[in-house]
Amino acid sequence: MDGQLLSETFVELADTMVADFDVIDFLSVLTDRSVELLGASAAGLLLADPRGELRVVAASSEQARLLELFQIQHDEGPCLDCFHAGEPVAVTDLSAAAGRWPRFAPAAQQAGFAAVQALPMRLRSQIIGALNLFRATAGPFGEDETRIGQALADVATISLLNERSLRRSETLNEQLQTALNSRVTIEQAKGKLAERLHIDLDHAFELLRGYARSRNRRLSEMARAFVDDSEQLPDLTAAPLPSPRRGPLPGPPR
Amino acid sequence: MAADSAASRMVAIWALVARQAGSRGGRPSMPDLCAAAVAAIQVSGAGLMAVTRTGAVHVMCVTDEISERLAGIELTLGEGPRADASAFGGPALASDLTNDDIMARWPAFAPAARAAGAAAVFAFPLQIGAIRVGVLELYRSQPRPLATVALGDALLFADAATLLLLESQQASGRNGHGQDGTGEQAGGGASHGPGGQPIELGLRRAEIDQATGMLTEQLATGIAEAFVRLRAYAYTQDRQLADVARDIVTRRLRLTNGDGPGTGSGPAVVGGLEPDQGGAG
Repeated sequence: MDGQLLSETFVELADTMVADFDVIDFLSVLTDRSVELLGASAAGLLLADPRGELRVVAASSEQARLLELFQIQHDEGPCLDCFHAGEPVAVTDLSAAAGRWPRFAPAAQQAGFAAVQALPMRLRSQIIGALNLFRATAGPFGEDETRIGQALADVATISLLNERSLRRSETLNEQLQTALNSRVTIEQAKGKLAERLHIDLDHAFELLRGYARSRNRRLSEMARAFVDDSEQLPDLTAAPLPSPRRGPLPGPPR
Repeated sequence: MAADSAASRMVAIWALVARQAGSRGGRPSMPDLCAAAVAAIQVSGAGLMAVTRTGAVHVMCVTDEISERLAGIELTLGEGPRADASAFGGPALASDLTNDDIMARWPAFAPAARAAGAAAVFAFPLQIGAIRVGVLELYRSQPRPLATVALGDALLFADAATLLLLESQQASGRNGHGQDGTGEQAGGGASHGPGGQPIELGLRRAEIDQATGMLTEQLATGIAEAFVRLRAYAYTQDRQLADVARDIVTRRLRLTNGDGPGTGSGPAVVGGLEPDQGGAG
């Protein structure tokens, strides 16, 4: 555990939450930082939609996103168990988990993961989602890492609420739906940009996020303006950069 | 929470709307949807408003006089749950209009709505990402929150209303950017989907959103029409929307404008398998 990185991460997350921030951008940063801090290979975050399903709102890679989706589609996996029980779930060796999750365990292994941990997002008595951490090597999850992982899951929960109306329980549902729809808008924007510049979707996301940050814009608002053509964003679409299939994570916004 | 529970609830909701339409002897329409929503969600009334890209509001239907008055109050005051739902892209939920936070949020609307006979108001944006077409507004004459299941159903009714509204707009060419003359046929095809039930919206898939974004470029059209044409293509090919979307995202499939926009002739959606151009990255 890198103490310096840990404190920097929490300072970064706290700084972001003080200002008017974009929830999806924030949760994307949070999954990226979870990977760096906790020695994970990938991380994903699921939220419960009152429509009756879990939805992926952030993932550190497309691979992690697909694995989260796989759990939802097949209705099995550690993240779902964690969500239903409201308790952390840790699988130290996926090769021994085929009995518990006959479809998920092989799929996760095939994607290159050997261990997985799921931590609940709790708000009072309610479970609103879960944070999933995937690791390439088998072995137990450390106590410190688990505590910090849970703290990150708690920060993710808090980011969905704005302090103005914590007193009304309906606020969570308002914010949750807004966040879920922002995710949809961002996916639409990724598709549009990827098609225009002939790049892949991960790369398109990095360009959108970098563009929003460099102009101090909220990612979802900028994505919406791009998708519905309400703004011309020439710098965004003019200069395709080399497309690393899985590029390095962007630095924290300073 | 089963994987298909959202989808199966969406099927049930369409069945309710279809039953309303059947008792009227027509095809599912906005009034059928509002009537079904009032019964299923156990609210006192519902109103459905279309909001154009320029922000103009059209009341599409109301189930009773109080709903009508609420719509009028909001238009007059320019404040309230409908405006918030349109602006912020999330629902505006007020289970008790006397609540201090709600009074602070809508100082003019809250007392006026109470005087009109509403005690609780819930507004749901009709949206799919950047596609925003209107608001479904429900009210109760007694202050009471929506339980989680009722909230989920209200969101699914809003999803259903989004599709109905999108297709009727495409059909009448009023969506502001679907002027190429193919929208009508595309919309008509999709609204005749299997049993008229666009159930695939019950299950959200990022691939569908990504593919819709890609189609705005491939078809040189707006996001709303791109979505309608994606659905129409899936329907005419008798394939699942998510499967078609995956083919588009993986660049195994491109949709094209056939003989070009503006002609209005030929099939509504001309899509063909083209060799992968290797453009996946």
